[in-house]
Amino acid sequence: MAPSNIGSIGVSHPRRDLPEKLTGDAKYTADVRLPGMLHGAILRSPYPHARIAAVDASRAAALPGVHAVLTPFDAPEGRVAPDLPILDTRARFVGDEVAAVAAEDEDTARQALRLIDVSYEPLRFVTDPVEAMNPGAPGVHEGGNLVGGKPIALERGDVEEGFAQADRIFEDEFATQSHSGAALEPRAAVAAWEGDRLTVWKSSRGIHADRLSLSLSLGIPRENVRVVGPHMGAGYGNKDETRLSAITAILARRAGRPVKVELTREEEFVAGRHRHATTTKMRVGVTNDGTVTAVHATTIMDTGAYLSSGPGVIRRAGQGALYLYRCANARYDGYLVYTNQPSAGSYRALGAPQGHFALESLIDRIAEELEIDPLDFRLKNHVGPEGQPGERITPLNQVVDTQPVEGGVPFSSNGLRECLERGASAIGWRERRAAQPDAGSAIRRGMGMSMFVYRGGPGGRSIARMRLEDDGSATLTTGIMDVGEGSLTVLAQVAAETLGVPYASVRVVSGDTRLTPEAPITAGSTATFSGGLAARSAAEQLRARIVEAAAAKLGIAPEDVDITDGAVVDATGRRMTLAQVAGLAPEHPLEVEATIDPGSREYVVNSFGAHFAEVEVDTDTGNVSVLRFVAAHDSGRILNPNMAVNQVEGGVSQMLGFTLSEQMLTDARNGVTLNASFLEHKSPTILDSPPIEVIFADVVDPVGPFGAKALGEPPSVGVAPAIANAIYDAIGVRVRELPITPDVILNELTLKETE
Amino acid sequence: MNPFRFVDAQSPEHAVSLLEADPSGARPLAGGTDLMGEIKEGVVEPATLVSLASLPGMAGVERTADGLIIGTMTTLAELEADEALARDYPALAQAVASVATPQIRNVGTLGGNLCQRPRCWYYRSPLFDCRKKGGAICFAVNGSSKYHAILGGVDCYIVHPSDIAPVLIALGAEATLVGPGETRTLPLEDFFAGPERNIEAETVLETGELLTRVFVPAPVSGQRSVYLKARERRTQDFALASVAASLRVTGGVVERASLVLGGVAPTPWRAAAAEDALRGVPVAEVDADAVGQLAVRDARPLRDNHFKVRLAASLVRRAVATLLGHTERR
Repeated sequence: MAPSNIGSIGVSHPRRDLPEKLTGDAKYTADVRLPGMLHGAILRSPYPHARIAAVDASRAAALPGVHAVLTPFDAPEGRVAPDLPILDTRARFVGDEVAAVAAEDEDTARQALRLIDVSYEPLRFVTDPVEAMNPGAPGVHEGGNLVGGKPIALERGDVEEGFAQADRIFEDEFATQSHSGAALEPRAAVAAWEGDRLTVWKSSRGIHADRLSLSLSLGIPRENVRVVGPHMGAGYGNKDETRLSAITAILARRAGRPVKVELTREEEFVAGRHRHATTTKMRVGVTNDGTVTAVHATTIMDTGAYLSSGPGVIRRAGQGALYLYRCANARYDGYLVYTNQPSAGSYRALGAPQGHFALESLIDRIAEELEIDPLDFRLKNHVGPEGQPGERITPLNQVVDTQPVEGGVPFSSNGLRECLERGASAIGWRERRAAQPDAGSAIRRGMGMSMFVYRGGPGGRSIARMRLEDDGSATLTTGIMDVGEGSLTVLAQVAAETLGVPYASVRVVSGDTRLTPEAPITAGSTATFSGGLAARSAAEQLRARIVEAAAAKLGIAPEDVDITDGAVVDATGRRMTLAQVAGLAPEHPLEVEATIDPGSREYVVNSFGAHFAEVEVDTDTGNVSVLRFVAAHDSGRILNPNMAVNQVEGGVSQMLGFTLSEQMLTDARNGVTLNASFLEHKSPTILDSPPIEVIFADVVDPVGPFGAKALGEPPSVGVAPAIANAIYDAIGVRVRELPITPDVILNELTLKETE
Repeated sequence: MNPFRFVDAQSPEHAVSLLEADPSGARPLAGGTDLMGEIKEGVVEPATLVSLASLPGMAGVERTADGLIIGTMTTLAELEADEALARDYPALAQAVASVATPQIRNVGTLGGNLCQRPRCWYYRSPLFDCRKKGGAICFAVNGSSKYHAILGGVDCYIVHPSDIAPVLIALGAEATLVGPGETRTLPLEDFFAGPERNIEAETVLETGELLTRVFVPAPVSGQRSVYLKARERRTQDFALASVAASLRVTGGVVERASLVLGGVAPTPWRAAAAEDALRGVPVAEVDADAVGQLAVRDARPLRDNHFKVRLAASLVRRAVATLLGHTERR
């Protein structure tokens, strides 16, 4: 018999950690307190680029209460990333880690930092990625500032041939800033040694990856490293670096006592990881009837002082240009460049929001100049379920990439058209001209839209364990981290539904490398899809074993037994509880492990969406108010509607800041970050947030678990162009640079009036 | 954070003597919302904090026939909750409500708001040795100057961050200062001083001197006021530019006009030429747009803050038009 639907899927179970978080019971890394624990602090470079000639930490070490000191000259030689030593004799941005101390309390540790004498030899520095590529620019690392020595170049068909087919070619350049995820929880790590065995508690989105990195950098066997990930005060794609925890571990080893280091808010802004700033030249060819013939994007991206996840980010910035519009000829060139800016890193949707801002802003202009409604232009040209034209290159027996360049591969599902139609209907797109306020007012109103494509969820190899407990409940064990988004809740729903037991009877074990199997980091919107497939596979296996054991006991064939509502039943109505089955299983406890390599050989698995914004622009103050926002998403079947809506609302709100207010700003003369605070980084508040209407397309994906596809990052992809296009609709000003702050609006209006 | 001594002063004399005893190391502490931030950011390192919280008679609003006497230890939340104040001085209530966040208004005081230090990011970062901190350079001049002064900058281009000061000045408020010498009372407008007087301070407070109370004259018939504040988000934000406007209209003619700008100059900035253009003019003949332009006539913006000229002019126009009942048109 097939598994019966017992109502776990599509049900808005509250996230599992809700009571703990609401009562303040939830423990974060900074809450970890161990007997004898010391507090560490980190000395940071005041120079954007300097050779560290010498460090004299003797005065710091002599300060009463100081138990350990770490400098580049006595640090182990390991690397926490290919371009990132544990500590280096070269500082590459203002805020780069230079030395560290551990002391009885934080004040003493910070006092000790001031007693460390560092001989800096300032070097020439560069803060602009275009300048950084010039011959003779100061080298941030060996081997040149252009990462890899050349841009990534991806092409389907022949883009120049596509432009030759075009009646008109449009081209604009767009710029986006770096901004911080501004997670409520600053980075923190606690380290404790027992002999040769190290335990690290850290704010983490990937405890297994962190364990590997720590083992390699510290030169200790992986089995001697345990990483525990307590509750996380948001990741937004961040917190997968290990320099902080490696430093903490060395301090703890030297002091012979546990050590905790927690970044200050200012340190979190400066030395955390933020979104890569970009400039993108977007070029699109169209025929007079509005058919796209060629798309060519060229992006220059500032990765700052270190590489972090830069290669993934530069790649993702081009995917919209390559794949959103049906077109035989498309090309993307991506330049990832080192500078002496604070290091960028993963931030929700990586480069996709930057790339889509350029693409969807230019498309809006094209539609206008061709006198085609922007919605109709997209309905006419969006990539359809059949995929891109062209020939499949991936061998038939291989999994198709979720960011393909090639054509000739259909999508597993594609609800983009439904997103466009339902989103437009919800915001009243066709009626929008009637909404203009009176012509003389300083307040102007406008509406704009965008659409987007994003990876659909297949990620790295995923493992899940399922165990039947003596009391008949089940335990799901996963190495995946819940970064605050609720992935563990969804995985438990998948396990419960597959097993045929009530949701409440599934426990989840996670967050500790000692207890959980290997898992990829929670990244790329893969947790539900890939983790879910592993959970489903494990639950299927456990189900089969339970059925087998029960059938043997009942003396019937396994096919004649079903699991319903947490009990085994047969056709004649005989019934065994799962606790009874647990007692008679030959192995005890009954436990299975499933390993899957998610992906499809037949299909491209992608998520889609369309965003619509209505704005009001005050031409006196330059303020943009988003009045309404409609976010229509194809993320396949929605497993937990409330949490899915939360994801979309969160992503849209977050990117409201990217679009209208947030920016990490450094002084061009010395690389110092000028606005490392919640006050100055200007994340939007609840008062700045519009009502957000969330629509999910009626799509059930054939590959994903119970039809689900990715949702974590897609909500952040389309926000900026939808709002920027709405601003254009309101005041006739096309802003090509983010964030669109009041000064930008006023300057543009002044420019327009003097033209 | 460096250790410091905390003293709970018991009388104004006690506080003054403590401050006078250590001019460079002692600082008065009111709500602490600004000073504690400065200490944490490493901008200042006082040896002694002299708390004013226990001083008698420093908190609360007293009403007299002549006007309001507001103790400078009165919290902004208390002012915000004062319904009579909102009725008599709408602009004052609007300004108070626009400050920071409810949490900050709960502990932040009137005195602290008037004496707060500039938000200039060069001043606030220990990595810039700027003019205000005794250094040789104003980094805003060739640096990132979006939030800086367009008027009154001399060697230093901070803007005064207070929302309340422009309103109180527009309402004709007076300040009382208690110190080692004579207690003195002066127009609040004269309490503030630009960089040309003392680049390291924003007020005329002498060593050991405390701002103890503010007097606001009673409203007169025909008086109307408004405070408009432009900012980048709707709460927890300082003004990009603001205007406090107080007008008295009698017999259809503007009889008195006070226009004071915030967020555009090192001190609250009286737009004298704009005021002159209003006084004695029949309401129907007031050209609000021209008044706005006059308010910024002398502006000399830096690289990044040209927008403030247009913004301040628009705010003045809007304020005047609002108070005179003109229909907002352009």
